[in-house]
Amino acid sequence: MKKKLLAAMLCLAMALATVACGSSDTADTSEPAAEGTTEDTASGDAANSGSSTVVVAMGSGFSTLDPGYVYEKYPPLIMNACYENLFKFYSNDGAPEPCLADTYEFSEDNLTLTVNLKQNVTFASGNPMTSADVAFSINRCKNLQGNPAFICDTIESIETPDDYTVVFHLTQPDSAFLSKLTYSSLAVLDSEVVKANGGTDAEDASSVDTAQDYLNTTSAGSGMYVMTSYIPDQEVVLEKNPNYWGEATNVDKYIIRIQPDSNTQMMTLSTGDIDVAMNMTDDTMAELEGQENVQIVNGATKTVGFVMMNMNEEYGGPVSDPLVQQAIRKALNYTNFQTICGDGSITPYSLIQSGFMGSKGERDANYTNVEEAKALLAEAGYADGFDIDMTVCDLDMEGILLTDLAQLVKSDLAQIGINVNIVSQPWAAGYGDAYRDGTLGFTVMYWATDYNDPNVQIEFLPGKTVGVRAGWSEDMNPELAALYDEAMNATDNDARVAVLEEIQDAMYEDGPFIFVVQAPAHIAYNTRLEGVAISDPYSLDLTLINIAE
Amino acid sequence: MEQLKFIGKRLVYLVVMLLGVATLVFILTKLIPGDPTVANLSQRALNDPEIVAAYKARYGLDKPVIVQYFLYIRNLLQFDLGTSIRTNNPVLSELMRCYPATIELALFAIIIAAVLGILFGIVSAIRRNSILDQLVRAISVTGVSIPSFWFALLMLYFFYYKLHIFPGPGRLSNSFSPPATVTGLYVIDSLLEGNPAKALDALSHLILPALVLAMFTMGLITRTTRSNLLDVMSTDYIRTARAKGLGQAKLILRHALGNALIPVLTVIGLGLGNLLGGMVLVETIFNWPGVGQFAYESVMSADYPSIIGVALLIALNYMVINTVVDILYGLIDPRVRCK
Repeated sequence: MKKKLLAAMLCLAMALATVACGSSDTADTSEPAAEGTTEDTASGDAANSGSSTVVVAMGSGFSTLDPGYVYEKYPPLIMNACYENLFKFYSNDGAPEPCLADTYEFSEDNLTLTVNLKQNVTFASGNPMTSADVAFSINRCKNLQGNPAFICDTIESIETPDDYTVVFHLTQPDSAFLSKLTYSSLAVLDSEVVKANGGTDAEDASSVDTAQDYLNTTSAGSGMYVMTSYIPDQEVVLEKNPNYWGEATNVDKYIIRIQPDSNTQMMTLSTGDIDVAMNMTDDTMAELEGQENVQIVNGATKTVGFVMMNMNEEYGGPVSDPLVQQAIRKALNYTNFQTICGDGSITPYSLIQSGFMGSKGERDANYTNVEEAKALLAEAGYADGFDIDMTVCDLDMEGILLTDLAQLVKSDLAQIGINVNIVSQPWAAGYGDAYRDGTLGFTVMYWATDYNDPNVQIEFLPGKTVGVRAGWSEDMNPELAALYDEAMNATDNDARVAVLEEIQDAMYEDGPFIFVVQAPAHIAYNTRLEGVAISDPYSLDLTLINIAE
Repeated sequence: MEQLKFIGKRLVYLVVMLLGVATLVFILTKLIPGDPTVANLSQRALNDPEIVAAYKARYGLDKPVIVQYFLYIRNLLQFDLGTSIRTNNPVLSELMRCYPATIELALFAIIIAAVLGILFGIVSAIRRNSILDQLVRAISVTGVSIPSFWFALLMLYFFYYKLHIFPGPGRLSNSFSPPATVTGLYVIDSLLEGNPAKALDALSHLILPALVLAMFTMGLITRTTRSNLLDVMSTDYIRTARAKGLGQAKLILRHALGNALIPVLTVIGLGLGNLLGGMVLVETIFNWPGVGQFAYESVMSADYPSIIGVALLIALNYMVINTVVDILYGLIDPRVRCK
C-alpha cells in the first residue's frame, strides 16, 4: 500500500511538471489580446480575443450595477457604456450637453424644466425610448431610497404630456440640475424590460422592487454596449449593442477586469494582457517610463482632501478659534501634500476644485508662512502652542491613506508648537457616526464628488451637510450661508461663476475647512488606443475610445 | 458497523460545531464596533433618515439583536445563510461562486507542497548533514519565513513580466471565456466542455499562485518529514532490518516512511485547511477571485451574513479535512486500523 501511495504521488508530480511545461507554451501563444491573437479560432473558443477587444483593469469592484443603486467610484464607467442619460459630459471640463434629450428649456422661475426627447432612440431590446421610460427610471431611483436617492431631492414631480416630452417640476431652483441628470443613477432604463424583471417606480419601490438581481448581470439601456457577463469581483464583459441608435466606435468588446494591485496592472499592461490600467502609482509609472506602446495620462481628480476644525469649542477646543484656524492654514506646506499624493495632484484655491466651472484654480504656491502662522497663534493666545488629538479613519483617498495626510499635518504643525496626537478610529466603528454628528474636533477627511458639478461643494457652507459636521451653523456666518441659495438659484452661468468665486474668496483664509490637495489619477494605456483620457464623471469614457487604424 | 458509528458521531459533532461557530461569530460581529449602515451607505445617504430606515429594514437590521439571531439560526437550519449586505446576493451563492476558485488553487498548491515536501524531506534525511541536506533545509526555512505577498510579487515579476514563462494573473487568458459552471474548477469544467486548450490554459494560470502558496506548507512538510524520518531511522526495528541486509531504498520506502508520514499527514491537513480559508494577499496579487478576497471585502463592509458564512465554511473545511486525515491514518498505519 505504501509503495503504491508513493508511486502515485511521484506519477502525479511528473504529470504536473509535464503539463506545466506544455501549458507555458499555450500561455505564450495566447498572450497579448491587444495584439490581436487568434487563439479563439485555433481553439474553437468564441471568446475574448481579437484586435477589436479592449481589456481595461480597474482597482476595485462594486456592490451593484443596478443604476437605481449605483454610487461607487467605478460603476459609472460601465453605466456610461451601457446606458444613456438625458444629458452627458462629452468632455471632462465641459458643461452637460443633451444626449437623449433633444432640446430643453427652463421656465422663467427656474422651477420647471421641459425636455424634448430624441425620437429615433431604441433600447438594446429594440424597444423605442419614450418619456415613460425617463419618468420610470428617475422615479424608481427616487423611490428605491438607495444611496443615490438624494440626487432626486429637488424633483417634486415628473409629467409626461406626450411620448417625447418630459416636464420636471422642481421644489426649488437647482442650478446643478442638468449635471444631476448626467449621473449614472438617473440613466434611462428600458422600463418594459425592467418591469418584466420585477422593477417598479412606485412609492414602495424600496421594499417591492426586485429588479436588482437582473440589472446586476444584464443591462437594460440604450448605450453603445450591452453587459453580457458579470462575475463579481472578477470581470465585466460588454459587447456592442446591435440596436445602437448612434454612431459607435470601432471597439467591439470590452473586458473590464478587477485588478486591485497596481503592480499587477503595470505588469499585465506591459505584457499586453490588458490595454488600459486605471490605477497607476508613481512607482509603477516609473517602471513603465520609456516602454514602447505604453502611454501615461496624469491629472488631478476632483476628489479633495481637507482638514476639518470644529467650530464648536466643546469638540474643537483651541482649533475652534478662527485665528488658530488661520494659523494652521498658514503653517501647512501644501507642496508636501502634493508630493505625497504624486504627480498630477494640486491644491485648490479654496473649496471649488480646479477643473470645475467657476473654480479660481490653485492656491498660491507661496501661501505657506510659518512666521505668520506663529504670530497668528500668539494673537489667539497660544504663543507656546498646545496639544490636540486629531482623529483619523481607515479610509483612503484614491489610494492615498488619510493617515499619511494626517502625518503631514502633524509634522507641519509641530513647527508652530502645536503637538498633534493622531488617534485612529475605523470609519464603520464610530468615526462615521461622530463625523456625521459633528462631534469630531480635528480631523483629516476627503470628499469625492457625488455628481460632476461645483454645487456639490457648497455643502461645505455654514449650516449645510458638511458645514454642520464642523459645527458651523448658519448664524455664525449668515452672509456666507446666504450664498448657498444664490448658487443654487443661479442657472445663468455668468451669475453662477460670480457667486462661486465670491464663496471661494470668502473661504480662502477663513472657515473650519482647509482644502489641502486634489488627488491625482494616473491612467496608462496601450498606444493602439485613441481617446483614452481621465474623466471625472465616468473615470474613463469607453464610448470615446477607438482602436487606431 | 463501527465505521458507520464513527461517521455518525462525526456528523453530529459537525452540526453542533457549526451551530457553535455560527453563534460565536454572530455574537462577536455584534460586539465588535462596526455598523453596516455606516459602512455601506454614502455620506449623503446617511444624512437622510428615510434612506437609513429603508436600508435597515431591507437587511433586517432594524430588529432587536436577539430576534436577528434566532432568525439567522432558523434560516441556517434551512441552509439559508442570508443575504450579503454588500452585494445583495444570497451568501450561499456568493460562497459557491468564490469557493471553487479557492479549492482549485488550494488543491493544486497542496499537491505541489506534499510531493516536493516529502521528497525533499526524504532526501534531506538520507543525506543528513550533507550539502544537499543544507540546501533543502535552506529552502524549507526560506519557504516558512518568506512573506507570501512579497514572494508572489517576485514570482510574477520574474516568471511572468520579465521572462514570459508563465501566464499572468487571473484564472484564464483573455482569449478564453470562463467555462460553463459544473464544478467551478476551471480545469475540470474546461475538460467537461471538451476544450483541452482551455483546460491547459487554466492549469498554467494555477502554477505561479500555487507555487507561492505551496512554499510555506512545503517548508513545514519538508521539516516534519525529515525530523520524523530521522527519528524512525534510529529505532531498533530499522536497525534490525538493516542488519538483515535490507537495501537503503527498500528500508526507507517499505519500513520507515509509513511511520514517519503520520505527523506529515497532519501537517498536510492543516496546510490544506489553511489554504481553503483563502489567502487574501496572494489572491489580490494574482487577481484570483477566491474566498480570501470575498472575506476581506465582507469585513471591510461589515457584511455580517457573509462574515459568518465564511467562518462557517472555514470551520467546515477543518472538520472535513480532520476526518479525512483520520481515515488516512488508518490506511497508512495498520496499528491505527487495529485500534
